[in-house]
Amino acid sequence: MSRLYLYGITRPREVPERLREQKVFLVEADERAAVVSELGEGPVEATRRNLLAHADVVEQLHEDAVVLPARFGYVLEGQEEALELLALPEIEHLLELHEGTCELTLRGKYEESVLAEVGADLQPLRDAYRVSPSVDAGIALGEAVGEALAARRAHDQSLVLGALGPLVLDVVAGDPASELAAFDLALLVERGAVESVEKQVEELASRLSPPLHFRLVGPLPPYSFVRLAMPAVA
Amino acid sequence: MQRESSAGYITRAPRSSGLADVLEILLDRGLVIDAYVRVSLVGIELLTVDLRIVIASVDTYLRFAEAVNRLDLRQVDDSKSVPDLFEKGGEEMAETKTKGAVEGGMDAIKEKVGLGGSGDDDDEDDDKERSRSGSRSRGNNR
Repeated sequence: MSRLYLYGITRPREVPERLREQKVFLVEADERAAVVSELGEGPVEATRRNLLAHADVVEQLHEDAVVLPARFGYVLEGQEEALELLALPEIEHLLELHEGTCELTLRGKYEESVLAEVGADLQPLRDAYRVSPSVDAGIALGEAVGEALAARRAHDQSLVLGALGPLVLDVVAGDPASELAAFDLALLVERGAVESVEKQVEELASRLSPPLHFRLVGPLPPYSFVRLAMPAVA
Repeated sequence: MQRESSAGYITRAPRSSGLADVLEILLDRGLVIDAYVRVSLVGIELLTVDLRIVIASVDTYLRFAEAVNRLDLRQVDDSKSVPDLFEKGGEEMAETKTKGAVEGGMDAIKEKVGLGGSGDDDDEDDDKERSRSGSRSRGNNR
């Protein structure tokens, strides 16, 4: 009984040549299939190569049909376990839910000039810091700038969500992951709506850039929308 | 015309195109089936520790203050006075420092997942050699 690395779950179909060459295959049960490859002994290493390989497999399969991407690192102890997994009613439910959907990730990042914009109303603190650039004055000013930037983030994110709202089925908003990050949004959309989202992002950029830069990635498998609502088993 | 002007502010990628794109998505999202299947991983504990950069730190505030002050000077003062030249000198230093700190977190992650200077380095946002020195600022992000 060999161990299997799990990439995700899909509907039974032919695996593309390129993935077959990488020893990726399906374990099928009725209308559901686990996307796996055989794995040697030992744990899975979270290397750059392995992470990108995982993404490559689920994203290539997603080009043609629904894929529920697994989180990185799941190992099945043989085909039996794959079949048990496929038998979960939740899996069928999610496959039906995501038939025809995809995820777009939309990240916003500010140019540094945003700091001057949000700091425009902080003249007394700015003057104080310029006259006497002490650590305390710097913290006082920087903290105020940070608050103003947070307000700007919230404002811009709600503007973006408001504009995209009619086009998206669901949204997951992550936390900004760097000082000048504006927002990090996962958007669940119909595959047919991708182009409309692109247009809307262009429209948003014409209003918000500069200082805002957008990065739009997709159509991707619904990475952020595959939560299983099932009880945790101890 | 509007489109042309906005185009430069949008980066478009049809698929995940680098570690920065997949890292959070694969480690933090995706189908979770812990109840049924064991996760078998090494390296993740290290990765998740550095995954988030703490935004509200004294260090950040001081960088913000410095940046606002510098941008302010640029707008109101075109004179080539001696103080102005001094400010210019400080400006470059500040720029390098800010960049290093912001990207330091992701950089730390890349180091840990074995991203060296290898040839298959196709990350779009990997082009900054200066971020290699991010380890210095990494400790400041806490």
